[in-house]
Amino acid sequence: MTDPVPVPTAPASVFLRTPRRLFTSLEGVFHEEVFFLILSVFIGIFSGLAVVCFRLAIDWTHLALLGPLPHSHNWRMFAVPSLAGLVVAVLVMRVFPGIRGSGVNQTKAALYIFNGFIPFRTAVGKFICAALAIGSGQSLGPEDPSLQIGASIASALGRQLEISREKLRLMAPVGAAAGLAAAFNAPISAVLFVIEEVIGRWSAGILGSVVLSAVSSVVIVRWFLGSEPLFRIPVTTFKRPTELVAYAVLGIVGGLASVAFAKSIGYLRPRLKALPRWTQYFQPALAGLLVGLIGFLGAPQVMGAGYDAMDQAMHGQFGWKLLAILALLKILATTLSFVSGTPGGMFAPTLFIGAMLGGAVGDVERIFFPHLTGSTGTYVLIGMGVLFAGFLRVPMTSVFMVLEVSGNYEIVVPVIVANTFAYLVSRSLQAIPIFDLLTRQDGLILPSLEEAREETILRVEDAMLAVPKTILNAQDYVDAAARRVQDSPEPAFLVRMHPSGWNTVSRDQLQRLFQEGKGEHTLVSVLPPQTLPSLYPDLPLDAALRYVNDYPLVPVVNRANSHQLEGVISRDSVFQKYGQK
Amino acid sequence: MSRDFATRLSQQLSQFVPHSAPLVLLVLTLAAAVAFAAVSHLVTRFNANQQARGRKLYAEGMADANAHRFDDAIAAFRAALTCDPSDSQYQLSLARALRDSNDPRRLDEAESYLVALWQRTPQDAAVNLALARVAAHRGDIEDATRYYHNAMYGVWNSDSDSNRRHVRIELIQFLLKRNASARAESEIIALAASLPPDPALHLQTAQLFAQVQDYSNALSQYQEVLRLDSTNPVAFAGAGESAYRLSDYNAAERYLRDAVTANPENANSRQLLDSVGLVLDSNPYRSHISDAERNRRIVAAFAQAGNRLTECAQQLGIDLNPSRSGGQSGSVNPPLDSADSSASPLLALQLRWSAMKPSLMRLRTPRETDLPDSIIDLVFQIEQRTASSCGPPQGFDQALLLISQRRQAAGQ
Repeated sequence: MTDPVPVPTAPASVFLRTPRRLFTSLEGVFHEEVFFLILSVFIGIFSGLAVVCFRLAIDWTHLALLGPLPHSHNWRMFAVPSLAGLVVAVLVMRVFPGIRGSGVNQTKAALYIFNGFIPFRTAVGKFICAALAIGSGQSLGPEDPSLQIGASIASALGRQLEISREKLRLMAPVGAAAGLAAAFNAPISAVLFVIEEVIGRWSAGILGSVVLSAVSSVVIVRWFLGSEPLFRIPVTTFKRPTELVAYAVLGIVGGLASVAFAKSIGYLRPRLKALPRWTQYFQPALAGLLVGLIGFLGAPQVMGAGYDAMDQAMHGQFGWKLLAILALLKILATTLSFVSGTPGGMFAPTLFIGAMLGGAVGDVERIFFPHLTGSTGTYVLIGMGVLFAGFLRVPMTSVFMVLEVSGNYEIVVPVIVANTFAYLVSRSLQAIPIFDLLTRQDGLILPSLEEAREETILRVEDAMLAVPKTILNAQDYVDAAARRVQDSPEPAFLVRMHPSGWNTVSRDQLQRLFQEGKGEHTLVSVLPPQTLPSLYPDLPLDAALRYVNDYPLVPVVNRANSHQLEGVISRDSVFQKYGQK
Repeated sequence: MSRDFATRLSQQLSQFVPHSAPLVLLVLTLAAAVAFAAVSHLVTRFNANQQARGRKLYAEGMADANAHRFDDAIAAFRAALTCDPSDSQYQLSLARALRDSNDPRRLDEAESYLVALWQRTPQDAAVNLALARVAAHRGDIEDATRYYHNAMYGVWNSDSDSNRRHVRIELIQFLLKRNASARAESEIIALAASLPPDPALHLQTAQLFAQVQDYSNALSQYQEVLRLDSTNPVAFAGAGESAYRLSDYNAAERYLRDAVTANPENANSRQLLDSVGLVLDSNPYRSHISDAERNRRIVAAFAQAGNRLTECAQQLGIDLNPSRSGGQSGSVNPPLDSADSSASPLLALQLRWSAMKPSLMRLRTPRETDLPDSIIDLVFQIEQRTASSCGPPQGFDQALLLISQRRQAAGQ
């Protein structure tokens, strides 16, 4: 029996509380927009504090359960993640339903389906279970849970302050950006990721709040945990443009690895979820056992988030064979941990796989082409971006993530080249990005930026009709106008008003005016004193829908000269265009 | 049930939500301050525990490193760094262990730790020294010299003079290993200029000077050692050898005799002393010798030069007797390449030697004032030519060659 998709249920009061007491009492003191921006800073502060605690919890759990010096061939390596998996499973099944997986999808669903509602209990559950899972060695990362914890805190704060539903809906991405920025110590990447993956569309309205919350949370994290980067960045250089070919190869290999990783998760996850419910109590434990065995048998690097191993790979500590093996084992370990429903993120594993793969590809390339100047560290760094672009399918974030982490803009061209190849390979072999795939497996369909990119937008110019042959002037007499339109097949005609603007008059209307004896009147004196709205050719066709029902013809004018008519839009032409599409 | 509880809690909490924006902001600020203080307390306690754990791991790492178990040391230092990532001592120790593990792949990582430390404290002598050693491992003379100099002029926590001196000596040894003698010599001169009155240090400096063949400064340093420790056998031997290399044979004889007396087992000094004795006994230009003795020495040198010429020609397969080769000068049997090039000068010298031989009888004639010099000039030319054609000589020939070199140096 399939476990039902855990849907967060908000108390009725959340949606029914119409009086926004705060803002009714504050009119004239604070505009809600301004208050929302200030609130974003507080969200950043609270999320940052929560993420600091979360990171301490992971470290403490790791030290307490695995010790400061985890070695292979130690029974703890497989016993700890197995037992911790059992505890996590019970907590997830009994106490905190809805915290399975990474948390990115749930945050997105909160934005688009649940009016920004994420239960605070989710933050608590995610904190406890993800810390236990990652600290015990499950191959998952702390970034996505941090994102969800931030979103959950923001949502709870918004509800308590009874802000408007429109703003409450936006609280989740604001908190998500704060949580992710704090976890990653990289505010730009966090903002871009939230826009690319959580919000799924470019929205200027929320950008300010997202940036404010991300920056304030990073300040908090740096205050407590220092500004040390996640890795010590080696010297990275890009000397010869011909070496871009080498980075393109890395992009292709990374794209293929991304597809393998995404497909393995996409294949196994629904199948494991479809197993009887009682098995879900043991799936995290089994995953922990298998991941622990990988560590026990000689690859402890794949356990946990793996930042230390990435750091060592970046400094050439591993040969290409070990790097390739670690990349493969990490794909296996993360797939097992993730599909078992253990709460935890995929950011760190993605970076790990990319780092190892990048190092391996770079080293192999240098065996065949010794003149290549890129260091192992450079390939490791670019490999991280490659997997980000290929697996998470966030091309913008992937580029900025590498630049922000490395602080080196010299490698921007190789990063863009490699990431583009990875993205294209991944897109061509895996139509649906991993987060969308997971969402659809949960029975939800949410908008995505990738979808939006592929969508063909219809514009006014696509449905625009040619400039009519007959255009009347406001100063024309009714009888003259009636004579002019006598032989025209169109039912309605544009009237050029003076000094500017447009109006319309129908053939029937002209006939009626003429019969009423108003033939000697000018059109301006008999037509209602309204002006037609104008459209521009580049506007989305949706903009025309607002007018075509009220007016038989809508003029389309030039943006540089509003007197110059480019064409007209009618209801028929609009619907005909939509019908064609 | 828990959901109902959450709902009720939320509703109850909402009763306390203030209804004025300034008040809301005040409450949020207070809440943030309280949360900040709580997290601060938590982080402080966590960090204290971590630091204690880090110190323990660091001690383990140091023990491993001192026992040359570098892999264990690296693991311990890494674990210590996870407890306190900002601790520069842990980073420095890890970098040292990585560098000393003799794994070239680890040098990059060591360097990156050290560079990060250097960026924070560029004046730290220990960091600069560690970076210098990494560069030295790589054989990068420029970087190593730069970091060694930084270490010399950097800040030391204690015993700065001694540490700076040791760093300079390490730099000199590195430069000598990389055959950068000129740079090494300038560093040794700087080292000598700042030495305290310590015979061991002066002795080490003298030996370094000798290594770069600056025998004049080496002799000065050995003399300084003997001034501070008048019985030092190593200084006697070194001073003797330096004087010998400087062709100051009188001084060399004095020092070498003392060296042999102090340490009869010193074969090198004994051999040099023998050589010096030969030089002094065969030098016709030595002051305070009679004319008869001078003439005797000239005659002996002339005869020795003739023998040397013959032996060298035989060694090269050159027949110096024109009558056996049908009067054809330069006849070579067998016609070796090396002999070809040497035959003509050796034959010319042989002819000159033969022509000069009868004039030995005129040495006692007071009017022949230029004759001794002419004879000795020929002897020196023969010794120099045969040395270049047949290799360095031994014994009397070696003494004659040394005398010729000294004369040449004095003439220049």
